[in-house]
Amino acid sequence: MNLVRFYVDNAREVLGLVGQHLLLVLVSTAVAVAIGVPLGILLTRRPAWRGPVLGLANVFQTIPSLALFGFLIPLPLLGGIGARTAIVALVVYGLLPIVRNTYVGISGIDPAVREAARGMGMTDGELLRLVELPLAAGVILAGIRVATVVGVGTATIAAAIGAGGLGEYIFRGVAVVDNTLILAGAVPAALLALSADGLLGLLERRFAWR
Amino acid sequence: MAIDGRALTDFLAVAVGRSGGRRVALALLAVLCASCSHADRIVVGAKNFTESDLLAEIAAQQIERRTGLPVERKLHLGGTFVCHSAITAGQIDLYVEYTGTAYTAVLKHTAGADADSVREAVAHEYRQRWALVWLDPFGFNNTFAIAVRQADAQRLGLRTISDLARVAPRWHAGFGYEFLNRADGFPGLAAAYGLHFAAPPTAMDLGLTYRALADGKVDVIAGNSTDGQLAALHLVVLADDRHYFPPYEAAPVVRGELLEQHPEVGRALLELRGKIDDDEMRRLNAQADIDHKDLHAIAHDWLAQAVP
Repeated sequence: MNLVRFYVDNAREVLGLVGQHLLLVLVSTAVAVAIGVPLGILLTRRPAWRGPVLGLANVFQTIPSLALFGFLIPLPLLGGIGARTAIVALVVYGLLPIVRNTYVGISGIDPAVREAARGMGMTDGELLRLVELPLAAGVILAGIRVATVVGVGTATIAAAIGAGGLGEYIFRGVAVVDNTLILAGAVPAALLALSADGLLGLLERRFAWR
Repeated sequence: MAIDGRALTDFLAVAVGRSGGRRVALALLAVLCASCSHADRIVVGAKNFTESDLLAEIAAQQIERRTGLPVERKLHLGGTFVCHSAITAGQIDLYVEYTGTAYTAVLKHTAGADADSVREAVAHEYRQRWALVWLDPFGFNNTFAIAVRQADAQRLGLRTISDLARVAPRWHAGFGYEFLNRADGFPGLAAAYGLHFAAPPTAMDLGLTYRALADGKVDVIAGNSTDGQLAALHLVVLADDRHYFPPYEAAPVVRGELLEQHPEVGRALLELRGKIDDDEMRRLNAQADIDHKDLHAIAHDWLAQAVP
């Protein structure tokens, strides 16, 4: 009940923070996809790099967010305080599922299919574009889905570095001992995560026809 | 646990009776263990910063060596909110709280009372509402420290927060959430001193504000006056010349039930009363934060020398 009144009284602020939150997730997921998918494809061509690259992405996942921010603040281009630093951290956390699923999706394709495509005279680029990516799309999308849903939750830490988002309410609520404020941030974040999961789930099902 | 864990898991698995039952049972067992583990031991909690951990460790060792009772440490739990919820739920038996914080953040009074009346009001209300007892304070006051870089302070002749108000319109501030949102925090301070910055203060994690100030990303922060980082990063604390901040005396808050069962715990903790002044606390914090000495060792050495 308190929560409903809070939203009515602070509608503009809530919408602003939801907007900030969505922007953080969208930008960071887009960048993570732009880096992660090509990297995953590269790993299928250079299997020797698989261990080190996935290992590094794994290690990134384990760095506590505050420690990561601490490292980033003094950096000239990626760091400082504000949205940019938060996005860098979110990209770092989002890479692993995307890289891994791209690699697994493509390398899981039946070798006979690849042989047949080669036999039809396909070049490397055609093989990737017309055979491998379409066949792996379902698995790759599943990775992007995981990265996005986790990102919606992780983006609450952006509030620790002055980048706003729904984490503001959570941090504020924890600081002033106010359950309503914590819920005011946590409930919409959970709803966003569920809707992102649902939407990407629909998309995934359309591509998972193999 | 006195009960055989494996047997209990199996029993629960049968009771739950599904293929995933074993996992559910394990989870249940973990919850059970967490709730039954503290029957015969004293659980000491702490907030998530060095000073709170350190004072909790000192309290824990003092109880151990004076009473011989087993003590469990649950340090670095979270902020005021988490510790307060934990002690009122009986998950911890004691932790160190600050009078001004309890007065404004927990009890939601407005700032502006003197040390004695704050301490009395807090002790009275805690006993009435939650049967929690405030023991005597350790002897220092950990107030908010409005800090700037030493170079700026020298160049512009800044000594007090009133001096800061003069240069503030060209400056950027970075504050922790607690300071920005507490009744005794920034809004009141800004009103009391007429502070206006170039932009609204950046809200960020308290620990990161020190780094942001040292790296020149912001120009003024609100730290804690007993923090070891202030000296290490060459920061200057501006004087609260209008006496805006209430007193923040640190003292153990203990469940009344525990003091009734084990009055010797209260006696042991009272030996610590008035033993740590501001300088001493800053020195102890620096040993942990700057010299990276082990908390257990710092507490042990200090107790051996100060409370023989």
